[in-house]
Amino acid sequence: MIRKLMATAISLALGAGTASATDLNEMSWDEIVALAQEQGELTWYVWYLQDELRGAVSAFEEKYGITVTIPETTNSGQKDKLRAERDRETGDMDVFATSFNTASELDLSDFFYDLDELLPDTEGRAQEIGGISGEGYLFGFWGNQTGIAYDPAHVSVGDLPQSPEEFAAFWAANPGKMGFNYEKGGSGPSFITNTLRVLSDIDFYNPESSPEKIASLQGGIDFFNEHAANYVITASNADSITRISDAELWMAPAWEDHLAGLQKRGEARSDIAYYIPSMGMSGGGNGVAIPLNAPNAAAALVFVNWLTSAETQTALNVSFGTAPTHADADGSKALVPAEQRVYQTGWASKPFYSDMLAHFVEEVVLER
Amino acid sequence: MSQAKLNKILLYSLVAVCALWLIIPFTMAILWSLVDPTKPWTADKLLPPVMSFYRWQYLWENSSLQQAMINSYTLAPTAAVLALVLATPTAFAFGRLSFPGKSVAQTLALLPLIVPGFVTAVFFTAFLFRLGFAHWRFGGIVLAHCVLFMPFAVRIMTVSFETVRQDHIDAARDLGASTCQRWKVAYLPALKPGVFASLLIVFIYSIEEFAVAFILGSPDFVTIPTLLFSQMGQDFVRPNAAVLSLILVVPNVFLMLGLEKLMRSANPALASGKG
Amino acid sequence: MDWRKSAQVVLLLLPGLGLILAMIGSVLYIAVAQSFGYYNLTGESGFSVEFWESMLDRKIYNRSWRYSLYIGFFSAIISVALAYPLAIWLRRPFAGSDVIGALLKAPLLVHGLVAAFLFINVVSYNGIFNQFMQGIGLWDGPRRLQNDQNGFGVLILQVWKQMPFALLIMIGSVQAISDDVLDAARDLGAGAFTRFRRIIAPLSLSAMQAALVIIFMGAVADFSFQVIAGPTNRQSLAQLMVFFKENGQWNDAAVVGVTLMVLALLCAGLLALTARIIVYGRIR
Repeated sequence: MIRKLMATAISLALGAGTASATDLNEMSWDEIVALAQEQGELTWYVWYLQDELRGAVSAFEEKYGITVTIPETTNSGQKDKLRAERDRETGDMDVFATSFNTASELDLSDFFYDLDELLPDTEGRAQEIGGISGEGYLFGFWGNQTGIAYDPAHVSVGDLPQSPEEFAAFWAANPGKMGFNYEKGGSGPSFITNTLRVLSDIDFYNPESSPEKIASLQGGIDFFNEHAANYVITASNADSITRISDAELWMAPAWEDHLAGLQKRGEARSDIAYYIPSMGMSGGGNGVAIPLNAPNAAAALVFVNWLTSAETQTALNVSFGTAPTHADADGSKALVPAEQRVYQTGWASKPFYSDMLAHFVEEVVLER
Repeated sequence: MSQAKLNKILLYSLVAVCALWLIIPFTMAILWSLVDPTKPWTADKLLPPVMSFYRWQYLWENSSLQQAMINSYTLAPTAAVLALVLATPTAFAFGRLSFPGKSVAQTLALLPLIVPGFVTAVFFTAFLFRLGFAHWRFGGIVLAHCVLFMPFAVRIMTVSFETVRQDHIDAARDLGASTCQRWKVAYLPALKPGVFASLLIVFIYSIEEFAVAFILGSPDFVTIPTLLFSQMGQDFVRPNAAVLSLILVVPNVFLMLGLEKLMRSANPALASGKG
Repeated sequence: MDWRKSAQVVLLLLPGLGLILAMIGSVLYIAVAQSFGYYNLTGESGFSVEFWESMLDRKIYNRSWRYSLYIGFFSAIISVALAYPLAIWLRRPFAGSDVIGALLKAPLLVHGLVAAFLFINVVSYNGIFNQFMQGIGLWDGPRRLQNDQNGFGVLILQVWKQMPFALLIMIGSVQAISDDVLDAARDLGAGAFTRFRRIIAPLSLSAMQAALVIIFMGAVADFSFQVIAGPTNRQSLAQLMVFFKENGQWNDAAVVGVTLMVLALLCAGLLALTARIIVYGRIR
């Protein structure tokens, strides 16, 4: 009895490892699809909009008969998990999502399959977003942009602030009508970062962080403190948008795709408009990769192929307002006029970025 | 003014306040849960412009609610049974034996109630990581819940053991009952309410527990409280949170009513476990 | 007590008390050790006071422990202050006292997170409360109440959730005071306040202390109410600890965690002692 159990356990453990990288490399795409359908399921770790994405992947589930599970996760939590599971024979994650700007925290080749080798066709699929390369391991599936959401009933297009000085003037003229978050989401931090960047002369894209470099942010810190009475701190990405929708605020930083999605699903007023100020707001995107110890690597591969395809990218643009990450996809449902895309900036590099935000919290938020 | 009249006025005003306190928030939650995605509910409208059960259905099908319920409702009974099994010998020693240092030991058994939940959660997780035990989240959470809420089981079972009457045990022995039979006739009847009470208390606390489930369960082990918390985070959507809140309240009410019934005969300090 | 009996007791205590001591002991040990630089998950481990030193200088930390104490202290005081008159009122059953008891205990049925959601929903910018205040003409326009700077939202939620607990603990001891004593005092000419001050308060002191301590320790360690309904420019100690932990700064998290434990115990003791001094007018 026990021997039988042991034998079964061993064969299961060995069997789980059979679809390793070399095997997939030797298989034709049709064979991979067949294996994927045999596996029949996969788990996608993505840390935002899980409920909505579960709806969005049903097209894939119908097409291939492969069930996609999206667990409830957090951004830092799933990265910790990836690291913690690296030495396990078989992990829990089949497809792993991460933003391009934090991808540098991971040594991609240590963790992921080389998708360049495995996908049937990589033509047109974005592998470099915001100046950061996925090196063939990470493929873009979600282009996004931060900007400013505003209520056109109160702010006219001609009066939209474009620089820190113009924002200060807007705050002074309309106290308490603009807000931004500093935690729970990156839209506010993007506004903070870009304002500090414009008001200082240090290199935000150099990851190096030192007390001197942080100290030279003083001009921007003074700017925020000087006008502290005229702007509001919100609780999160969602809170900012909700408060514009409730007509409490007239203006707040927001993610383009977040706002578009909420409008699409009737959770925010559809007349809220959006722009990128010429001082620049950060943008980038998220990509997917397949961990080397994925339990259903073949299914994961078929999924990534589907997710990054032109058709799916067009569909995501329609339902989420994302910027497509496939050259042939139609991105016409975006909120931002195409000519404002040039104002996109990259995200400041970590660890400088983290230290800068911590400094902002200590010197500005806690002084309120 | 007579006492009776005063009571009546106080009663009506309190009932009114409580109704406002409970009915209004829940009514608002119900209305928000019915907001149809085709049209948002804005400030200028008294009621949602379009009402439907769309969100109820969507969340049932697309949120982690089902998984969270499965997790919570396997976790809680496991923790409850485990806590009871582990607490019973200690409670027996506390309730039936006398030994030096007993009162110190009884105080020490309350330790889990004194350490703040998040401190336990964070450093118990650190401990599990060091042991290389971080993958089996279910086991970790069961163990943590079991220990965290064991003081309740120990306390309730101690009282139960104290109420077992020595003359019943003696009588059973004198009548030639074996150890097993003596337990059955003398101990079991006296322990039964305590067993149910401690199972239910640990169950309820485990269902409600947030800190350990949140820290140790991260990123992918979801329970009912952690699901609700994540729904109120950066992707907070008011109507969806309303649906989840309402779904989560219902089982709690039934559980607590059951507890109330069990506890009616016992004293309230025992029910709180902290008297 | 012979060795067999001792062994029996030890064996009986092992699975219950033993497990509690092992787990809580290791939690405390790891927290304290990490706050002094041991048990680093990455990098060098070794004794160091630098984490304490640098933390004690940080504004965010000093704001945080003051804020947590504020929430803990006022939650405990307000809950007990509300529960006392209710307990005295409900001391003897009367028509409808069951209903009131059930209504007052209802918040125990509602999960804290659900309560937090219900609350922010009611006080939101266009929520029913704002509409009401405008409707009766008290306010000209809606006001921002959610995540208020003074933490009133957190205090309201704490009291909402904790007051029934205080009531549950205190009602028993108030009920135990015999009518004879109170009647005798009344016959001797003691007014309502004197009866409370001289008889009810001393006789229910230990229940009141228990209620104060339990609520204080719960509220001082609050996380979820603070994250959902608390001010955006303050962090509670539990919130700060989790923030550091998420960032992988385990030593900093440990410093905050140890602070939280020490403050909770110390101040709970002080609170109980103060209650005693106020009731008796002296220390012993």
